[in-house]
Amino acid sequence: MRVIIRETALEASEYIADYIISRIKAFKPTEDQPFVLGLPTGSSPEVIYKTLVQRHRAGEISFRNVVTFNMDEYVGLPRDHPQSYHSFMYKHFFSHIDISPQNINILDGNASDLAAECASFEAKIARCGGIELFLGGVGPDGHIAFNEPGSSLSSRTRVKTLAYDTILANSRFFGGDVDKVPRMSLTVGIQTIMEAREVVIVATGAHKALAVEKGLEGGVNHMWTLSALQLHQHPLIVCDRDATLELKVKTVRYFEAIEQSGTDARTQGPPLVYRPRTYVPAPMGASKTNQQPTPASTPPRVPKDLRINTQLNQTLDDEELTPDSMSSRMVDSAISGLDSTLKGDLMFDRMGTRVISH
Amino acid sequence: MPGKTATPPRITKFTNCRIIRGNQLVEQDVWIDSLSGKILRDQEAFYELHMSPDEVLDLGGRILAPGLIDVQLNGAQGFDFSVPKSSKEEYDEGLRMVNKGLAKTGVTSYLPTVVSSTPEVYWKVLPSLGPSGAKHRAEDGAESLGAHVEGPFISPGRNGIHKTDVLRAAKSFEDVVGCYGKENMFGPSKTVRMITAAPEVGSMVNNIPNLTAQDIIYSIGHSDATYEQAMSATKQGATMITHLFNAMRPFYHRNPGVFGLLGQNEHRRPFYGVIADGIHLHPTSIRIAYNAHPNGLILVTDAMKLCGLPDGVYDWTNGERIVKTGARLTLEGSDKIAGSSATLIECVNNFRRWSGASTAEALNAATATPARLLGLEGVKGTLDCDADADLVVLTDAPDPYSGPTLTIDQVWKRGVKIYDAEKEATNSRV
Repeated sequence: MRVIIRETALEASEYIADYIISRIKAFKPTEDQPFVLGLPTGSSPEVIYKTLVQRHRAGEISFRNVVTFNMDEYVGLPRDHPQSYHSFMYKHFFSHIDISPQNINILDGNASDLAAECASFEAKIARCGGIELFLGGVGPDGHIAFNEPGSSLSSRTRVKTLAYDTILANSRFFGGDVDKVPRMSLTVGIQTIMEAREVVIVATGAHKALAVEKGLEGGVNHMWTLSALQLHQHPLIVCDRDATLELKVKTVRYFEAIEQSGTDARTQGPPLVYRPRTYVPAPMGASKTNQQPTPASTPPRVPKDLRINTQLNQTLDDEELTPDSMSSRMVDSAISGLDSTLKGDLMFDRMGTRVISH
Repeated sequence: MPGKTATPPRITKFTNCRIIRGNQLVEQDVWIDSLSGKILRDQEAFYELHMSPDEVLDLGGRILAPGLIDVQLNGAQGFDFSVPKSSKEEYDEGLRMVNKGLAKTGVTSYLPTVVSSTPEVYWKVLPSLGPSGAKHRAEDGAESLGAHVEGPFISPGRNGIHKTDVLRAAKSFEDVVGCYGKENMFGPSKTVRMITAAPEVGSMVNNIPNLTAQDIIYSIGHSDATYEQAMSATKQGATMITHLFNAMRPFYHRNPGVFGLLGQNEHRRPFYGVIADGIHLHPTSIRIAYNAHPNGLILVTDAMKLCGLPDGVYDWTNGERIVKTGARLTLEGSDKIAGSSATLIECVNNFRRWSGASTAEALNAATATPARLLGLEGVKGTLDCDADADLVVLTDAPDPYSGPTLTIDQVWKRGVKIYDAEKEATNSRV
């Protein structure tokens, strides 16, 4: 887990905007190999979009070869209703950038067959070779996308009933009338998000502090769906100071120390690899076919492992860059004596390795 | 030469611009479609039809406003709507020239106004002045929304410079129809959109319902009406006052006259035209009227053909002559004001300076408010989706002598750019 802490919400948002721009640029997307970006709605992302639009206007970044997938949409709300997520995305982002409308994918909450709509959304993601970077917000109850507390951590895109809390919170966008808030939504699942090569979460404001604490310091738990990211290989959480209020001082200092020692998350994303646009039914397994040179002699017969991977797990294709764990480095670190205590139970190993290897 | 010019981009997006929303300027993009000539429902086009702009214009914070609407304009470019030519072709040719010239001043639609004349003149000129409607092409320039006939049923004592010989009084509705010509008042050939007449002359008050039944706006003007007479005209359906204060019984505290309509609450307060050229009215008079009824103020130029011509003595209608001294026009041998030679955008600037109205409010007085009077809400005078894409791009820059001043940079008609001040300047330099 990488965590970046900034003093204000604006700085946190700008950090993410910078990060996304650097990732798209490093990817060097082309028409045939677009950068696939997952996008959220909400008040925290709004500032990110604003920054991205400014950068676009300044000529720093083009979205011409970017394909986007949005996380969620209300069910039954007209597409051009001012509160629909279509409208949100159009108003705050799409209408200001050079993305082509064909490259935009938002769930259709008015589809006649919602289940089919969800399945085709997953298929579209797969056809694009999966999502490169999924940007998300987090709810005060720890939800990511509309995966309310209690959502299955292996869920995929589906119809989801909104939690009462969410309906109450969103009623402010519907003239304070709880009855006008749609009761259902379409949303990507936790598993859909987990399959993105990289997940970036923005959490700003004191009301997000508990969610951040549960997601970071608590165990993996479906009541705080943010915590599922603990199992992801490349999560990045960017908070403002207020959102860290519930974290242990030690946790905060730890992440800050990582950044201060010169690790810049902007150079730390997973390797950017273009994944071929072939239709693979979800869940997706990356295939690895390396052409071997023809051996000089007939190789000795080796008994084959005939077991089938029934778990359909991701292969080790995307594994860690550095195999060693943080605790192994900590013996020599300033926190001497802690290493034995920490050994094996601190989950933040990957970042520690970066401190040294950078 | 047709076919030689490159086809204009279909969808244009204006960005980094300020547009009018109510009484404020807000930053918002506007998409227009040159094919339909309308302002696009951009979000729908984007998601549904996968349209994206062919051209993006960064206006650098300038103002994008609806094209201006002038409901009282007697002529321009040396052409007078009230003077028939030897043939209809010659008259139409002059009209085309006016339309092109007007568009450069930011006026994209207007009511060509004919002053008091003999019936023969009306029968000749009105058929050319009707609304251009759907057959209007962008390159034609400004578009007529129908004719405004000012007179001849007006008060001989409040005639302004209208010739008294041709004034008449209508005893019945037939007299009105006979004067303008039946085909100009009824059916698909209808050309008259607005009539200025004095309610107290003849039995005009009783004719008002007949006029409004034909969807013709009745405007009180050139009138000696008392407050009571003006009220009864409003009750009958008068919805407009032609150039408030000018050519009417002045405000008197025991009988406020036509001006009193702006203070009453019995009937709907009428719209009223104001000539903010600095000659016709004192700035404070405009301010008083505006404070009394801000939503009804419509800026008009009442400009005539001499607009833009050098100083001197010029022939006018009915054999009379007009002296032009700068912006001031007077009838020869008197000091009666004979219309103005100001442009509508100058009037907007004056009005903004004098009244304390916001930029949006001042522009509304020449766009949204006249559109409301003409029943064209949502079609003209607005940048809402599905409205006609008649636009002006304005710079709001301080002028060393007169303070903040709006100037016309570009004019778009039905989704096509027809004037660009920048290009014009380059061309004239070459």
